[in-house]
Amino acid sequence: MSLQSLNRRRFLQSTALGAAATFAAPAVLRAQGQPVKVGILQPVSGAMSYSGQQGRIGATLALEEINASGIKSLGGAKIEPVFGDAQSTPEGGNAEVEKMNSAGCAAVVGGYVSSICLAASQTAARYDLPYIVDVGVADSIVTRGLKNTFRLGPGFGVLAKTAIDNLITLNDAAGKIAKTVMIIHEDSAFGSGLAKLLNTQLPEKGFQVIETIPHPTPTRDFNNVVTKIRASNPDIVIPADYYNEYVLLARTMQQQKVRPKAIYSVLGGAASSYKFVKEFPEAAQYIMDCNHWFDPKNPKALELKKKVEAKGEFFTYEVYMNYSAVLLLADALERAASADRAKIIAALESSTFSGHVMPYGPTKFVNGQNQGAAPVNTQVLGNDIQVIFPAQFASAKPVYPMPKA
Amino acid sequence: MKSYASIAAVVALLACVPLLTASNVALNFMVVALLIALVGQGWNVLGGYGGQYSFGHAAFFGTGAYVTAILQVHYGLNAWLGLVIGIAAGALIGAITGALSFRSGLRGSYFALVTLAFAEVLRIVASVAPITGAGVGTLIKLDLRWETFQFQSRAPFYWIILAFVAASLVLVKLMEGSRFGAYLVAVRENEDAAKAVGIDVLRVKLAAMTLSAAITAAGGCFYAQYFLFLDAGIAYGPWISVEALLAPIIGGIGTVYGPLLGALVVKTLGEVTKLATGDAPGLDLVIYGCVLILVVAFAPQGIAGLLRRRA
Repeated sequence: MSLQSLNRRRFLQSTALGAAATFAAPAVLRAQGQPVKVGILQPVSGAMSYSGQQGRIGATLALEEINASGIKSLGGAKIEPVFGDAQSTPEGGNAEVEKMNSAGCAAVVGGYVSSICLAASQTAARYDLPYIVDVGVADSIVTRGLKNTFRLGPGFGVLAKTAIDNLITLNDAAGKIAKTVMIIHEDSAFGSGLAKLLNTQLPEKGFQVIETIPHPTPTRDFNNVVTKIRASNPDIVIPADYYNEYVLLARTMQQQKVRPKAIYSVLGGAASSYKFVKEFPEAAQYIMDCNHWFDPKNPKALELKKKVEAKGEFFTYEVYMNYSAVLLLADALERAASADRAKIIAALESSTFSGHVMPYGPTKFVNGQNQGAAPVNTQVLGNDIQVIFPAQFASAKPVYPMPKA
Repeated sequence: MKSYASIAAVVALLACVPLLTASNVALNFMVVALLIALVGQGWNVLGGYGGQYSFGHAAFFGTGAYVTAILQVHYGLNAWLGLVIGIAAGALIGAITGALSFRSGLRGSYFALVTLAFAEVLRIVASVAPITGAGVGTLIKLDLRWETFQFQSRAPFYWIILAFVAASLVLVKLMEGSRFGAYLVAVRENEDAAKAVGIDVLRVKLAAMTLSAAITAAGGCFYAQYFLFLDAGIAYGPWISVEALLAPIIGGIGTVYGPLLGALVVKTLGEVTKLATGDAPGLDLVIYGCVLILVVAFAPQGIAGLLRRRA
């Protein structure tokens, strides 16, 4: 019967596929000087593709730098990247980590979205494969007790706290002019987690949250949301979105001439993006953001910025966070003097890495979370993005409230 | 009897895969393909045999997934028990949505739209309800023991999903030969004629929808245990509704092997295009889409139909 023969053929194909993958997998142990494989996992296609591609740029630049001299303690071994596309879904991330594991990767860096980081790091944990989260900010990433997972950047808790503290400082300095807040957020782990934190913490600090509006990613029309904002007329609008939605929301607000006292975002996907400022300077004007940012006083960061801009790319947070995450791994490899996974994990646990380009305190990992990680506040002023808080990194004074158009 | 022997042979052959390859990449691929085959088989019962095209099987998939996950995370229930309850919950949602839409006499594209709406409503509810973890999602704790339905190796997962698929094949085969199956096909071919000869159309459609939902919910439960993370977009998102109908349509709608065939072909195609395009992100999806269009254009009866024509 034809069905049976077809199933046999299918079966043979799938086993051949499996066999090919087994042969392709090299031994994990390697001699000195041999390249160390590292998985670079990014969502380079799908809804998050822009961020994923930016992240890949950062990782690639870091690898170029590392490979110029190699890992000294491994006899000048180079890091060989194994690029993976998570296709903007957790299953995609999971499948790529499986491939990276069987390709003999010593560690994986990336993930970008919280949900991909959660799934991918868990899969990596099955194989004790070290996993460095580049961005993913959900607190649950580092509170699951996974030994293999590390995050150099800040999580929600720290981000929301810093954002609220800075908002209060800002508002107090201006004579407490703002009392009401409206939160617009995307409805996955990142936006909702943040909205939840803000909803509990803002009222404690004397702000009234009038309304919280979730929306999915992607959303292609914000007219209704902006109409609601106009009707409720809050003093401050807090958006927490990924890049495209953020831009669209800001532009719709500009078109409908909705101008609150401040657009103050927490991890606003575009709020502190050079791309946004260059493409839509009017919509971006005066927007404040509490976000990941490079250290503007670090010469290495400025050099990296020049390099990225010379390539015709924008210097977005994905770039320097992935750059820093890959350097963190290289430092751990250097100190571990081995591509052994357990030794890399031990080296990461005891890391005091300071070669990154972020405005962080001293690196110290507790349960995989870097205690020194912190965000900064930025504001779009003119054609540039300035750091307004904290004082030791600030490059401009905040403009608040937003001048009426 | 011959057809049951062929099911046994296919399943036995597939069961050998983990013995032939230790590669977790290959196993992960096969697990995902079989998961889609299972979900597709669920769709096939209602859409293929019953002619009721649903665009919202995510509603059942997501319910199965969330119920299993939530029972474990919030109520400390055993994962295996969670699986049983998850399937039951999915079937219940199937019965409820079925009763609501069939009682109102919705057919064809109206029925399709209503199922889509049900899934979307559930997705939005899940993205704000605290019990599902709202947008943050639900995370099942990694705890690799067989009691918790989690395994270090991918092989047990593979055999379990294969067992599910095998059960669904037998179930559909049984249904095909039963009085109920004949009623269902009669309803598909001409609902009014079926009614005229005394078939309780509503009851038949409801039973088909409940069975269909239960099979799809089993896929959802498995997904939760395999990936250990759910959010509203994963559980109730349109992606799974599309996968659920794509597999049987490509493989052969209203046939026992259609969903399995379709899932294997579609997933292999996805993987091959990904390998072939290498480092050009997104190009694989473009090729994948083009090939799908070609298949649908030149094999309207699916792959099974193509084979039948040739044989």
